[in-house]
Order: sequence, then C-alpha cells, then structure tokens
Amino acid sequence: MLKLIQNEWMKLWHKKGTWAMIALLILFIIGPGVMLKYYETKTTEDITWQESEQKAINNNKEMMKDDGLSADDKKRFEEQIAISEYRLANDVPSQEDGSVESFMSFTGSMLTVVTLFTVIVAASIVSSEFSTGTIKMLLTRPVSRAKILTSKLLTTFIFGLFLFVVNVVVSALVGLILFGGTTGVELEMVNGQVVEKAVWNDLAYHYLLSGGNFVMSILFAFLVGSVFRSSSLAIGLTMFLSFTGGIIVMFLSRFEIVKYIWLTHSDLTQYEKGNFIVDDMTMPFSLTILAIYAVLFLVISYMSFMKRDVTA
Amino acid sequence: MTTQPIVQLQNISKTIRGKQLIQQLNIDLYPGQITGFLGPNGAGKTTTIRMMTGLMRPTEGKVIIDGLSLQDNYEEAISKVGVIVENPEMYKYMTGYKNLLHFARMHKNVTKERIEEVVKQVGLEKRIHEKVSTYSLGMRQRLGLAQALLHRPKFLILDEPTNGLDPAGIREFRMYLRKIAEEDGVSVFVSSHLLSEIELMCDRVAVIQNGKLIDIRDINVETSSFYYIEATPNDQAAALLQKHDYNFVTENNGYVVEIKKEDIPKVISQFVNEGIQIFAVQPHQKTLEDQFLEMTGGGQIAEANSK
Repeated sequence: MLKLIQNEWMKLWHKKGTWAMIALLILFIIGPGVMLKYYETKTTEDITWQESEQKAINNNKEMMKDDGLSADDKKRFEEQIAISEYRLANDVPSQEDGSVESFMSFTGSMLTVVTLFTVIVAASIVSSEFSTGTIKMLLTRPVSRAKILTSKLLTTFIFGLFLFVVNVVVSALVGLILFGGTTGVELEMVNGQVVEKAVWNDLAYHYLLSGGNFVMSILFAFLVGSVFRSSSLAIGLTMFLSFTGGIIVMFLSRFEIVKYIWLTHSDLTQYEKGNFIVDDMTMPFSLTILAIYAVLFLVISYMSFMKRDVTA
Repeated sequence: MTTQPIVQLQNISKTIRGKQLIQQLNIDLYPGQITGFLGPNGAGKTTTIRMMTGLMRPTEGKVIIDGLSLQDNYEEAISKVGVIVENPEMYKYMTGYKNLLHFARMHKNVTKERIEEVVKQVGLEKRIHEKVSTYSLGMRQRLGLAQALLHRPKFLILDEPTNGLDPAGIREFRMYLRKIAEEDGVSVFVSSHLLSEIELMCDRVAVIQNGKLIDIRDINVETSSFYYIEATPNDQAAALLQKHDYNFVTENNGYVVEIKKEDIPKVISQFVNEGIQIFAVQPHQKTLEDQFLEMTGGGQIAEANSK
C-alpha cells in the first residue's frame, strides 16, 4: 500500500498543475498580506486608538436609541460599548488589522482555496487514468482494484493535509514578517465579563470545523470522479453544490427531510458563529449524518470502481 | 500437445446490453508457443483480450491462468501475465524510467537491476530518462514491451505490438519474442492485423469472427500438399498433368498442382522423358492472407449478434 501511495504521489508531483496550485495558494496568502500592510501604514497615523474607541462608543450609543432594535441587537451593542470602555479604562489598544493572529484568522478563509484545490485532485486522480487510458496498465497488475482506489483516496487526503500545512505555515511566516511588531489584544464578553479572546484556540477550532466541509467535498468529488470518470463534471458539481448548497437547504428548509441532507451539515462552522440554516441542530447529530453520507459516498465509489468493465 | 496449457479460456461468453459480443470461446495456450489472434474489425479480439487480463468480467465461463481462475484468484493469476492492451498508454508527463519504476512497484520482486536489464533488452537505454511525451510511437511500443516484461511473466498478451515499429524494430521484436518463447517457455498471445507479421511470428493462429472462434490451427502444417511447377512448353506440361489426373491451376508462369510428395520424382522423370524443360518445382503454400480471407469470407465488419 505504501508503494502504491508513493506511486500516486510521484504522479501527482509530475503534473504541472500541482505546482501551479501551490504557487497560487502562496500567492493568495502573500497578496492580501502585502495589501493589508500597505493600507495599514497609510491610515493608522490619522487618529489615536483612544479617539477611535470613543467614536465607536458614541456611534453605538446613538444606535441604541433606535426603538425598533431586537433584544439580540441591543445586547450586542451593549457588549461592544462595554468592551470599548474597558479598553479605555485599562489602556488596552485593540488590534489593528495587522497582526500575526488577525492575519492568520483572515487566511483561515483560505481553507476554501485549499478545499478547492484538493477537490480538483480528488476529481481527477481516478478519472484522468481513464481519459489517458493508463487505467489499463494500472489494473492489469497483481494489485486488487480496491487497493488501487484506496491508495488514490489516501493520496488525495495526504495532498489536502499538505496544502493545509502549507497554508498555515506560509500565513504564519507572512504574518510574522509583515506584522510581527504590532501588539494588541482581542477582547470579548463572556458571561458579562470582558475577557481576552483566545485567538489561537478559536483559530484551531475554526480549522477543525472547516474539516467537515473539506472531507465531504473531497469524498463527493472523488465519488463523481470515479463513477462518471469525468474530472470536469466532478469539479463542477462539487463546486456547484458548495456555492448553492446554502440556497438548496434554504429552499428545502420547510421540509423535515432537510435535516437528513449532508449539505445542511457539511458547513460545521455554523456551530462557531451559532447561526444555523436549520434550527434544532446538535453537533453529534450533524456528525452522525455526515458520517453516514461519507460511508455512502465511499461505498458507491468502491462498488463502481471494482465492478465495472474497463473499456477505456 | 503433451504439455499442460498455461492459459485456458473455458466457454467464455460476453454479453453487453443484450448484444452477445463473444460466444463460448474455448482457447488453450501452451508454454513456448506463440499464438496469433486474428479476426476482422469488430470480431471481438479486444473484448477477448480484456477478459483475459481482468479488465472485463466474462458473462459466462472462466479464464484459467496457470491453474488459477482469474476471477477468483485475481492477484495471483494476473501476476503471471504481462500485457499491452492496444496502444501502450504511459504517463506522458513522466520519464520512461519513472513509468517503469511506477509499474515495478506494483509487482513483487522487481529490482532496479531488472528495470535496467529490460530497458537494455528493448533498446531504450539512451532515451529512458526523457519524458514519454517526447517519444515516438515506436519508442512507446518498446517502453510498453518493457513494462510487460518487467516481472518475467509466463504469459504475454500483446495487442498490435508492432504498430509503429520500424522494420528493424519489428524484426528485433520478432526475434525477441521467439527467444523468450523458446528459452523461457513463455506463452505469447499476439493480436495483429498484419497477417504477414503473424505468419512470420507465430506457431499457431486462432481466428475469430462474430465473437466465435472459427478456426485454430498450426501454421506451416499442410493439410493437403500443393506444389508449384514451372516448365516449358506450357501446353505440353499441362497436357501431361491432365493425362495423369492431377488437379492443377495456372498461376504465374506455371501450375499449382495437388500432388503427394512421394509422387514428385515420378512426375519430374515423366516431364524429362517428354523433353519438357523444368525450371522450378517447389512446395506451394497458401499465404495466411488467402487462408484468412477464405475463412472469414472477405472480412466485412461483423454485425453484432442481437440476442
């Protein structure tokens, strides 16, 4: 099995597209970093942070006067005012846009790019063998088809993890180089107390939750790629679902069945923000549904790959 | 044939969407023998080969390789087979060597030394570290042969192996197949459209048409004997042959006569006695092409048999 993965890894890195992905990912991190840095140096000198905090307090107080506010909104404004006052009282400047932490939180959104690139690999790793005809060479070896498919699936995940590591390491480096010097503290209200936000924990949690969408997208692309043997269909369909997934779920939200669709659950980051597309969801329930779909996708992929006649 | 067959196709049938592509095919292949596989386009050659390599499952019947069923014991059975199905499709973005390394990893006990050895055998030493996308068709064929030979298979399946090879390459290839068949006892199964090629290369031919095996016979074994006789004057020779009740037809400047070998000296002395000048007396063989066209009736593309 190790040798098979080694083979897949070798093939993957001999494709130009793979290198292009890495280059793009790094560019996507450095580009916004440089832009942020540029604007930061331009704007910071205008007013002191105390003045801007005072402004924010006044603004928020103005907003509070509106009678049509919901209880939630009211609470949010109160919290913001409390935080701002805490900052002024205790001399704790807020973080400007530029800091290693905030930059890394920002590049947390790059996980979409990591997912997209991994989806491309997942979609083509099986189907490209069919379109080039090399599948005949691959399947007339003393290795069962199940093992070959497994090696391809594992290689896809290893590649995804690799991209993730690249993402984290590069954004940390870029953040350090560009914003290393700035200090600041993120604050938040917990149970009526102003406390320091655990930025790193939140980031790790965000990454972990993003894993849900990552895994499901890959398995789905892998499924379509190996069943229909068309990488473009697999990439297209996976992307389509990830963009329109929310809308589809919205449309179906009147029906009970929406709870049992993986699209409702694959974006686990909704647990982080707390705004759910569909009410009454719990983490264990979501994970169970996702697990069931994951197994289903895998079973279909394996069945079709192992049973079918190869005519490519 | 006294030896055990290494490959047996037992009652293989294949039906796809109601169309019976292959009907109860039975073929035995023996070690050390090169068998040609002929048939008009659409006869089912590639389908048969795909079933022999596990790419397709037969609807009915079994493929037995060295005593093991390909369907039940896939990994062990296929490890004895080397394959080129149609064009050898390689990973074009990698070098020839990396391609071989890739396939070598999928077999047990294929060392780096073995790869070097095979590369030398197929004559690719100079270009093996270049990308396959820069190779000519002939070079890809050589690389295809190299990957099929890596694991020293007992049974070699080649689909159109000489396609794209230059004359020297074809000759080399033929000699090489002969060598491994004779020295290592490898059984070779070659499909080709080049009848003259098959004729030169094979010991036996299997002919398939409309998914049915219509003939399997040894090459160079005559069923009845024909001799070509060239003599002048022509009409006198013809009269003499007619007088002795031989069947003959005119061909080129002489006659093809159905005659037993032991009767040849008698005929010659009769010709000499009559003062007829003899220029040539030689065994006459129908070319494989003649035989093939005779068997397949002109070789139209077969209509698929609907069930």
